[in-house]
Amino acid sequence: MSATEKVSRGSEALEIAGAWLLALIWILPLAYAVWAAIHPSEYSAHFAPDAPLTPQNFIKAWNAAPFAWYFLNTFILVTMILAAQLVLCTLAAYAFARFSFAGRDVAFILVLLQLMIMPDVLIVENYRTMTALGLVDTIPAIGLPYMASAFGIFLLRQTFKTVPRELDEAARVEGAGPLQVLLKVYVPLAKPVYIAYGLVSVSYHWNNFLWPLIITNSVSTRPLTVGLQIFASADQGIDWSVITAATLMTSAPLLLAFLLFQRQFVQSFMRAGIR
Amino acid sequence: MFCTKVKWLAAIAAVALVALATGIMTSAATAKDIVLSFYYPVAVGGPITKIIDGYVADFEKENPGIKINAIYAGTYQDTLTKALTAFKSGEPPDIAVLLSTDMFTLIDEDAITPFDDLLKTDADKTWAKSFFPAFMENSQTGGKTWGIPFQRSTIVMFWNKDAFKDAGLDPDKAPDTWDELVADGGKLTKRDASGNVSQWGIEIPSTGFPYWLFQGLTTADDVRLMNQAGTTTYFDKPGVVQALQYWVDLSRKYKIQPEGTIEWGTTPKDFFERKTAIMWTSTGNLTNVRANAKFPFGVAMLPAHQGRGSPTGGGNFYLFKKMANEERDAAFKFVKWMTTPERAADWGIATGYVAVRPDAWDTSKMKKYVADFPAAAVARDQLKYAVAELSTHDNQRVTKALNDGLQAALTGTKTPQQAMTDAQQEAARILKPYQ
Repeated sequence: MSATEKVSRGSEALEIAGAWLLALIWILPLAYAVWAAIHPSEYSAHFAPDAPLTPQNFIKAWNAAPFAWYFLNTFILVTMILAAQLVLCTLAAYAFARFSFAGRDVAFILVLLQLMIMPDVLIVENYRTMTALGLVDTIPAIGLPYMASAFGIFLLRQTFKTVPRELDEAARVEGAGPLQVLLKVYVPLAKPVYIAYGLVSVSYHWNNFLWPLIITNSVSTRPLTVGLQIFASADQGIDWSVITAATLMTSAPLLLAFLLFQRQFVQSFMRAGIR
Repeated sequence: MFCTKVKWLAAIAAVALVALATGIMTSAATAKDIVLSFYYPVAVGGPITKIIDGYVADFEKENPGIKINAIYAGTYQDTLTKALTAFKSGEPPDIAVLLSTDMFTLIDEDAITPFDDLLKTDADKTWAKSFFPAFMENSQTGGKTWGIPFQRSTIVMFWNKDAFKDAGLDPDKAPDTWDELVADGGKLTKRDASGNVSQWGIEIPSTGFPYWLFQGLTTADDVRLMNQAGTTTYFDKPGVVQALQYWVDLSRKYKIQPEGTIEWGTTPKDFFERKTAIMWTSTGNLTNVRANAKFPFGVAMLPAHQGRGSPTGGGNFYLFKKMANEERDAAFKFVKWMTTPERAADWGIATGYVAVRPDAWDTSKMKKYVADFPAAAVARDQLKYAVAELSTHDNQRVTKALNDGLQAALTGTKTPQQAMTDAQQEAARILKPYQ
C-alpha cells in the first residue's frame, strides 16, 4: 500500500466519522421528539428504557385545535402555490433564456432584485394589496405573494440555458412551435430541477408562519403552523410531550414523503446543483 | 406530454376552485348590524378560546345589533404584529387585548384612542375608577387612560411543602425576606457526594422576559426602573445593581440556584419534578400548578428586602382608531361588559389571572373560590405593593437592552455593575428622541 493510498484511506475514515457525527447531531432533536411524544409527560426529560408507551399525547394534541381543517388548508395552500409557481416560472424562465426582446435584461435584473428582498419586509404592502383585492382571510391571499417566485425563475432559466441549442433547433425543424419546444424539449430535460424546486417550495410553504398568521383570521383559512401556535402560550407553562406530539403530527406528511422519495430527491438535488 | 399538461391545468383549476370556496365562507351579518373585530392573543382551540367565545355569544345575545368577530391571533407578540400590520394597511382591528406594556408603542404609532372621551355618564366615570390602582399604572400616561385592565397577573412564589418538611423547615412558612430565602434555599438544595445537585433551592426564570422577574427583585429593593412618562430608565441606580447582584449571588455565591439562564417555560415542570423546591412565576400558572403538582404546595408573596413588591403584567383592552362614532360606542359597551365585577371574577377563576377590580373579590362566586383555595388571594393581597411593568417608548428595544444586560450578568460575561451601566447607556440612546 503506497503512502498516498494510506493518506486517502485515513481521510476517508475521517470523512465517514464526520458524516456520522453530523447525522447524529441532526437526528437528535427528531429522536427526542419521538421519545417525548410516545411517553407520558413524566418521562419527557427522564430517559428510562422501561418507560410505558402511550398514544395520549397525540390524542391531546389532535383535540387541542381543529387540525383536520388545518391539514386541508395547508394541503390546498402548498398545492396551489406550487402549481402556480411551476406554470409562471416555466414560462418566464423560457422567455428569459431563449427569447430576445426589448427590456429583457432590465426585467431579469428586476426579478433578481426580488431575490434580495426578504418577503417579511413587504408584509404591510402585501396586506394593503390583499385588502384592495378583497382577499383578506382567504387561502389565495396566503399564496398570491409567493406565486411569481424569483428563485424559481432564476433556477429554471439557468437550467434551460444549459439545454443544447441543437435540440431546440432540431425540434423546430420537425415543425414544433415555441410552446411545443418548451413542453417537449426543455421541460422534460429539467425534470430533476423541477423535483428539487418542488421540494423546496412545498417545505417552505408548509412551514411558513408569519404571513399566514397576519393575513388570516378564521379556522377555515389558517394553515397548520398557525394552528400549532396554541401550544406556545408560555404563560401557562410548556408541556413538551404534547408539543412534540403535535410537531411530529404536523410534519409527518413531509417526513413520510421525504423517506418515500428520498432517492429521487437526493439525485435531483445533485443534478440541479442546489445542495 | 400534451395529456399531462391538460391534467395539470385541471388540477390547478380544481385547487383554485376549492380555495375560492373556502375563502367565500365569511360571517353572515345583516347589513345594519355593527360588526366589530376583536383581536385576542391566544391560538384557536384551547380552553381559553371557548371561554371567550362564550362571553362573545352572551354579549351578542344581550346586545342585538352588535356583532363581535373574535380573531385569535397567537402570542401577544404575534397579535401586536398582526394588529399593527392591519392598522398600517388601513384596516385596523376595532378592539384588541394586547400587553399593557405596549401602550407607548401603540400611542407612538397613533393607533389607539383614549377612553376618556367616552366616559360621559357618572356610571362610566365610576367604572373607569373601579380597577386596582396597580393595574392602572400601566394603563395611563399623560393624564389619559389608554388601556383597561383585563387579563392581568403578578409574580408570586410557589413552594413545595414536602421539600420544606424534608429539609427540616416549617412547611407552612415561606421565606419572607431575602436573607430567609438564602438560608432556606441552602437547606433545600440537595447535593450528592460528588457535588451533583438533585434538588435546587430556588429557580427564578431568566429567559423570554427576564426584566419582569427582575422587577420582583428591584421592587423589593425599593427602586423603580422607569418614570411614568416612559421617557427615562434608571437601570444603573445602585439599588438596581444591588438587586442584580443578589440574583447572580443566588447561583454563584450561595449556590442554591442553577447557574446560567433558567428557562421560563419549563420552570413549572422543574417544580413538578422536584428539581427545584421554590419557583417564582406568574399567577397565570396557578391553575396549571394546581392541576399538575403531585405534592402540597404553597403560594406566597415575593420576599421583601428594603420593601416588598412585584410588577404587574398581562394584557389590557385597547380601542383602535378609525372607528365611526356608533362603532366606538359599541366597542366601549363591549369593554365595559367584559369587565363587570361578576365577569372579572368568573374570568379570574377560570384562568388564574388576577380579577382586576376589588369589587370582583366581593362577589359570592369569588368568595367561595378563595375559601376553597386561599392561595388565589395571595396575588390580590400583593397588589398593594405592586408596581407597573417596565414600559417605555420604543418599548421592545429598551426592554431588550435590559434583558441582554441581565443575561450577560447571569451567565457571568459581565459584572452586574457593568451590565447595568451598558444597558442604561443603550436605553438612554434609544430614548433620546422622546426627551
